[in-house]
Amino acid sequence: MSVDAVFRIAGLRKSFGPIQVLGGVSLDLHAGEVAVLMGANGAGKSTLVRVVSGVYARDGGTITLEGKDFAPETPADAMRSGVVTVHQNINDGVVMALDVATNLTLDRLNGTGAKFLFNPRRVRRQAREVADRMGLEISLDAEISELSLADRQMVAIARAMAHEPKVLILDEPTSSLSSAEANRLFSVIDRLRQEGVAILYISHRMSDIRRLADRIICLRDGGISGTFDIKPLDYEGAVNAMLGQKVDLGQVAVKDADRTVFAATNLRIAPGAAPFSMELGDGEIVAVTGLVGVGKTALAETLFGHRQPLGGAMTLRGKRYAPRSTGEAIAEGVFLVAKDRADSGIVQDFNIYENMSLPFLSRISRLGVSRRIAERNMARDRIADLGIVCRTERDEMSTLSGGNQQKVMVARWMTQPANLFILDEPFQGVDIAARRDIAAKLRASAAGRATIIFVTELDEALETADRILVMSEHSIVGEHRNADVDIDQLLAEIAGRSHRGAA
Amino acid sequence: MTLRDIAIRYGFIALLVGLIVFFTLATDGFASPQAAVFIFQSVAITGVLALGVTATLVVGGFDLSIGSVATTAMMASAYVLVVLEQNALVAVLACLAIGVIVGLINGVLIVYMRVPDLLATLGMMFLLVGLQRIPTEGRSIATGMTMPDGSVANGTFSPAFLALGRHRFDFFIPSLIPVSVVVLLVLAVLIWFFLEYTRFGRMMYAVGSNPKAAELAGAPVKAYKIWAYVISGVFASIGGILLAARLGRGDIASGNNLLLDAVAAALIGFAVLGAAKPNAFGTTIGALFVGVLLQGLTMMNAPYYTQDFVKGVVLVVALVFTFALSHRGRS
Amino acid sequence: MSFTRRTLGKMAMGLVGASCLMGMPAIAADMPAPFDKPSDVKIALVRYLSTGDFFQAYLSGVEAQAKALGVDLRVLDSRQDAALQADMVDQAIALGVQGIIIQHGLTESMKEAAQRAVDAGIKVVAFDVNVENDAIPQIEQSDRDLARLALEQAIADNGESWKAGYVYVAGIAPLDRRNETWVEFKEKYPGIEEVAMFGTLDNPIANSVANQARSVLTANPGIQVMFAPYDEFAKGVKIAVDEAGMSKDIKIYSADISTSDIAAMREPDSAWAATAATNPAVVGQVSVRALAQLLAGEDPGKSVIVPPTLITQKQLIDNDIKNMEELSAKLPQFAHADVAMPAWMPNPNE
Repeated sequence: MSVDAVFRIAGLRKSFGPIQVLGGVSLDLHAGEVAVLMGANGAGKSTLVRVVSGVYARDGGTITLEGKDFAPETPADAMRSGVVTVHQNINDGVVMALDVATNLTLDRLNGTGAKFLFNPRRVRRQAREVADRMGLEISLDAEISELSLADRQMVAIARAMAHEPKVLILDEPTSSLSSAEANRLFSVIDRLRQEGVAILYISHRMSDIRRLADRIICLRDGGISGTFDIKPLDYEGAVNAMLGQKVDLGQVAVKDADRTVFAATNLRIAPGAAPFSMELGDGEIVAVTGLVGVGKTALAETLFGHRQPLGGAMTLRGKRYAPRSTGEAIAEGVFLVAKDRADSGIVQDFNIYENMSLPFLSRISRLGVSRRIAERNMARDRIADLGIVCRTERDEMSTLSGGNQQKVMVARWMTQPANLFILDEPFQGVDIAARRDIAAKLRASAAGRATIIFVTELDEALETADRILVMSEHSIVGEHRNADVDIDQLLAEIAGRSHRGAA
Repeated sequence: MTLRDIAIRYGFIALLVGLIVFFTLATDGFASPQAAVFIFQSVAITGVLALGVTATLVVGGFDLSIGSVATTAMMASAYVLVVLEQNALVAVLACLAIGVIVGLINGVLIVYMRVPDLLATLGMMFLLVGLQRIPTEGRSIATGMTMPDGSVANGTFSPAFLALGRHRFDFFIPSLIPVSVVVLLVLAVLIWFFLEYTRFGRMMYAVGSNPKAAELAGAPVKAYKIWAYVISGVFASIGGILLAARLGRGDIASGNNLLLDAVAAALIGFAVLGAAKPNAFGTTIGALFVGVLLQGLTMMNAPYYTQDFVKGVVLVVALVFTFALSHRGRS
Repeated sequence: MSFTRRTLGKMAMGLVGASCLMGMPAIAADMPAPFDKPSDVKIALVRYLSTGDFFQAYLSGVEAQAKALGVDLRVLDSRQDAALQADMVDQAIALGVQGIIIQHGLTESMKEAAQRAVDAGIKVVAFDVNVENDAIPQIEQSDRDLARLALEQAIADNGESWKAGYVYVAGIAPLDRRNETWVEFKEKYPGIEEVAMFGTLDNPIANSVANQARSVLTANPGIQVMFAPYDEFAKGVKIAVDEAGMSKDIKIYSADISTSDIAAMREPDSAWAATAATNPAVVGQVSVRALAQLLAGEDPGKSVIVPPTLITQKQLIDNDIKNMEELSAKLPQFAHADVAMPAWMPNPNE
């Protein structure tokens, strides 16, 4: 490992209005080394990437490239200086309508000194050079739209490499790739590492990190919360540093379930994932935790009938449960508070009470005619119950704060008794007070149903649940009663050392 | 409520009332029950079509085929009556069947084949404009017409069918209200009640506003979308029946003007009462608004091209109302 | 659709049969060259407009006259595509036709194409399109005569002084020509008072015009005569008059005719008093005859005008005429025009 860093960030700060996103980040990148940057949602990863790639200007701190000050004004500027970024959204890195050869040489069409006339033969020759250097085995004539995601990613990276960068930043490059496709990407990264490129690899996929990392840097709440570079790398420590842990254990009066309400046996929710079983009891709240992209939402949607399992069976109150649609799940008393409420929960054109009554209109209606008075009464009860701050039940959703919007989403599903109540990231974009209210309400009303919440933040699981299940690679790999939890073991499981004997 | 809110909510209704007052003063005979009924009659067909397209707008879709569905239904009823020599009931049923089938095909194309709504219904529009010419090789249908094979079609538009276009109900004044106006009002009330007061209507609005949320709330989103196109198709075919009954023959026509007027009425409806969304009441008022304007201008001897211009102005003003409102909602 | 060998066979049989029929000229002996061997004569009809009753009837006239002559007719239909229509002229040249009928189209797009055909030694006639070429005779139906016949009947029926409603949309060539006659009549008969002018081409035209006419009738209850010199207009006016219950107080005079117009005029108490019309089938026949004269070396004249016929409600009822075929059969002046009719020319109606 070289002593002098190629790329050095020191004391980097960036704020948006009153909100400080990066509060003095310092990190070094070395030639021929892959540094993995880990961080939960909102830790500041994307802001960091955007500052470094010239999208945002920094508020403070220094960045040096090979000892010289690096202050790109535009992304093109950063690229010309030798700092190249491949963004998360693959399709942003390629131009769909053009063929591979043109994509590979696209940046040359815009730089200074670019010829006015477009010479296809010259482009082809240059593209061939770029492709050969990368070992790219894609026909240069192919249209981008005909390529698989992985191939598009390869083209985007090859295009980035055409600038002969000194620093390459890859922002979650495998998030939409299959494992075989990811392996091809890894071998390209290995090759670049040998060529002496300094690589910053942003991911929270543990399998990627194990495969590639020479060093792990953890970002949490806008600051570096840990750096790990002693081999063998301490992956659990890294996860711990990323998720943080500031929980007062024992905050929750843990209850044990009486009767089993819901059971799944040998459930398989993704190709190649290990089957798993689980049971959820009456009155208990079970939290499923795990990193982003390990299949939490897939499991939630499978339980809700929005997705079909690839294998296994489910039972609800002892009877076979195999919903083919969300409507069937609701009829069985299985409710889901979906994540990303703006996207998949709130009907923007509807006011509060119309949003609340949405799933149960058929139960409230008589002969198909909806009864608005009943709806409004029901909504008023829920508003009082959950302490939703609003003027009346006829307020527009857009007038509510994020926390109150989320309360409406939860209230929507609490107007009717549930057998199984699923909440996917119920605390996302919710202030701490609303989060406490929702958690308390969930615990207070838990009797008579099974409740399962899916959360990425460990704190949220520890604060809310009676039992914690850990998910990794689309399967459940650990289970803990939320009293005297072995945090080390829990973190190890989150980081992917499952109790299946992988470690 | 601020002045601005009042303007947005009641502005269009006030404009309508103002227009009526203006035309009453400016022309002879505008303010009579007959003229009022006649204004309804002049917008009955486009109004019915507009109510249908409102249903597709509610689910976030669009139906460009309504005009040609109407003219195809008109041709079909003429064909059934004149060439096949069937009775009025068969003709009406044939038209409604066409509406249902076209709606289903539109819905399936959009929902299952993932063809964008504008493109799918545009394709259907062309298809129908061509299809209505095939049975008679491009001839209009009238009693006594010569068929492609040389024979003469001897069927007639039965009195029962023509009554749909020509019969008038007594309402204080004998023979005042034509069937088409009654059909318009009944359908308007039906679809208004359906959209506002039934759970199906509410779900359709939810599907239009946020299909994912609607699906996760247990709604069969695809079925609702298909139903919306079926409603649109059936309403358009009812419009076609009224058209055939009024004209008393089957005319080859693309129905594009019907489509444009219907869409304009539905879009103007967004602005009525500050709804800022498709709604049956607004659509009906929108259609009446256009009717009042056109009939008033015609009575004042304004040339036809000024009427298109005025229609355009009304639509733009209505869209500004809607846009101003939604802007306020978002900020 | 899948073609089996059998259906192909059937189609082939049909074609052979059809061409046998086509190939039998009525008389061959005393015909001038090249019509002494008519099956060797190829002519083309290059169309711009084709949909609608008028154009169907026109085509049938062209076909009937071509069959009577025994010539080989090719129909090229550009379906309102101006550029395609010009290409089709070139296509016809390439087919080796001796004569071309250009039916409608735009002067701008057809002028050069027509010149190319003339340069290639092909005889050309044009119907309802001015290709600005002295070698090309124009076949015209006289719109001025149409309007004149209808208005003369209106004067005959109603005297020289009445209140009129007039349906007109400017910018449509035949309607503009009919309008010139209306303007002349108003000057000639100062007693004619035009109290309302309206009109629209929004389709279905009859429906849109009916809406307008209703308003006009409400605003001007004293109207006695409606001059609607296009049958779609007249149909719309008639609907409005019926709906207003004024069919005994108003008379409608129009131009053009179709089977459904006949039915509308024959209705009891119909307000539609008379219409002046040129039989589109006759126009089609005359087009072919004028072309045949050119091919035979005769001069049909720079402009071949097909005269219109006045058709009154009384004629229709007295003769019990219910459709276009009966109209042709019972009003001989409607079925045949003695235009472009040299002695050798076969009459398709005989």
